[in-house]
Amino acid sequence: MYTLKYVWRNVRRNSVRSLLTVLSVGFSLALMTVLYGFLASTDTYRQEASLSNRIVVMNIQGFAGSLPISAVDDVRRTKSVAAAVPLAWYGGAYQDERMPFATFATDPAAFFDVWPDYTIPQEQLKAWQNNRQGCIIDRRIAERRGWSIGTRIPLKSSIYPFPLDLEISGIFDSPKNTDSLYFHWDYLNEGLRQVSFPELDNAGTVFARVESKDDMTGVIKAVDDRFGSSDTPTRSQTEAAFAKMFADMLGNVQVLIRNIGLAVVFSLSLVTANAMAMAMRERVTEIAVLKAIGFSRGRVLLLVLGEAFLISMLGGVVGVAVGCVFLQAMNQAIPQFFPLALNELAGLWMTYGLIAAAFLGIVSGIVPALQAARLSVINGLRRIA
Amino acid sequence: MTESIVQVINVSREFRRDQITIPVLAGMNLSVDPGGYLALMGPSGSGKTTLLNLIAGLDRPTSGSVIVCGQDLGRSSETELAKWRSRHVGFIFQMYNLIPVLTAWENVELPLTLTSLSRRERDEHVRTALQVVGLGDRMDHYPRQLSGGQEQRVAIARAIVTDPDLIVADEPTGDLDAKSASEILDLMQRLNQEFQKTIIMVTHDPHAAARASRTLHLEKGVLVSEVSSDRTQKVAP
Repeated sequence: MYTLKYVWRNVRRNSVRSLLTVLSVGFSLALMTVLYGFLASTDTYRQEASLSNRIVVMNIQGFAGSLPISAVDDVRRTKSVAAAVPLAWYGGAYQDERMPFATFATDPAAFFDVWPDYTIPQEQLKAWQNNRQGCIIDRRIAERRGWSIGTRIPLKSSIYPFPLDLEISGIFDSPKNTDSLYFHWDYLNEGLRQVSFPELDNAGTVFARVESKDDMTGVIKAVDDRFGSSDTPTRSQTEAAFAKMFADMLGNVQVLIRNIGLAVVFSLSLVTANAMAMAMRERVTEIAVLKAIGFSRGRVLLLVLGEAFLISMLGGVVGVAVGCVFLQAMNQAIPQFFPLALNELAGLWMTYGLIAAAFLGIVSGIVPALQAARLSVINGLRRIA
Repeated sequence: MTESIVQVINVSREFRRDQITIPVLAGMNLSVDPGGYLALMGPSGSGKTTLLNLIAGLDRPTSGSVIVCGQDLGRSSETELAKWRSRHVGFIFQMYNLIPVLTAWENVELPLTLTSLSRRERDEHVRTALQVVGLGDRMDHYPRQLSGGQEQRVAIARAIVTDPDLIVADEPTGDLDAKSASEILDLMQRLNQEFQKTIIMVTHDPHAAARASRTLHLEKGVLVSEVSSDRTQKVAP
């Protein structure tokens, strides 16, 4: 208790310096919490996808190409395919928001056969299927925006010259936040026909559920073989591989983010170490007195290390708290990039942030602590006496 | 015959600066009986603080032996010396050297944190030590709230709180006005006479040295003369 009190008083001795150090640690760890929270979100999608037995069929040119709607039936007819739907990215802008959430054109009749892990009340599903301008949204969007069944949603696209006038027919639940809206593929295609859009009957990609995970490799080969000699050869892959492809598109950014995080921690350890070294230089005589009256090297080392640790942990608590507030705000504002809510991240990132703070405390304190522990009592006392 | 609490036997101490060896003490012999009050005097650089540091276990001799409270300090490791100092030696410094973020009470309690005493026993020791030095009413004051004389009293309380066998004082009145210096010297004399504490004090002040029962004069690292309380003077061979 006495030692803790002494360490705490030492932290408060130069309160401005300590406060600035705490804030610099806090700010940087807040930044790290947000950046790593973003990476965790992308990793989570990949992990989730690895559990599914869905495959994604896309044009061999990737997102630059497309598949004809007839490809959906071809995929459905493939052995071991349980269900398949088109999934065309609409890129809807809502009012002034350029990308408020993900918007896809699909087939309401088979959608929940491909995603059986999503749930929706039967009457809402029927209403969606029967309403050409109907759509379904993730419950998190509905809650965030206060939308309910019947709410009209006008959307514009930067890809297609046909604006949508949608009405919410259903609200679905999913294990993780999809932040998505799904509407009738037919409605989009018919609208595009009316405005004489040249690329009609475009399915975008095809998502299919395979009866068993063991059949996925065979189905992928069969689909790609079937389309191999057509006008639109395909590249099929598991949903996990598709998610990984997305993550790989961010690959360099991920490495960059991780390295920035590490660089921040490293540079901070130097800042904190400098603050600690300054504090120790001012206290050389005091440390010599402690050693004179019998404090061992180990005890002096722990006192200094404890001070650095405490400063860093205070910064860590501040940083993680601020980071979590930011993550929550990001999850609310741009869930398509931060799909995980705070309660899905908090435990993990609080732990990581505090471990980083503890690491920072020990690394930044170790050199000044060793210097203090090795200080010659006589030289220390001679500084003033 | 009483066994000496301090025995300095043919001690030399040299320091190295770059390639140069500087002899500070040469062939020093000294013994101090329990309950003695010894003043070390001499000009700057005469080796008196070095001798005090050797006796207090803060330094080791280049050659010879320093045996204090039965412990051969030259043969002890740094860890052993730290533990030994906490049990046997109380320190009084010229600049008091109190910890500024701790109150008078907490400063006095500091050496007791190295012992296995219970909280209650520690409190009793601290209260007693502060009362001995006459600061029972300043327990919660921080060093900056005390006068120089009061700070030195707290330092003395810190030095005696573990009930050490030996108190070493390096210019304990060097930073005080005459009145405060006199009060501190009275207190040290009381510790010696009433509580039978062995005291070794380095001083430039003849008035301070006059309070000791024995005064040694050093010059250039050797003992040149000794004056006893009965004012008899011996010239070192």
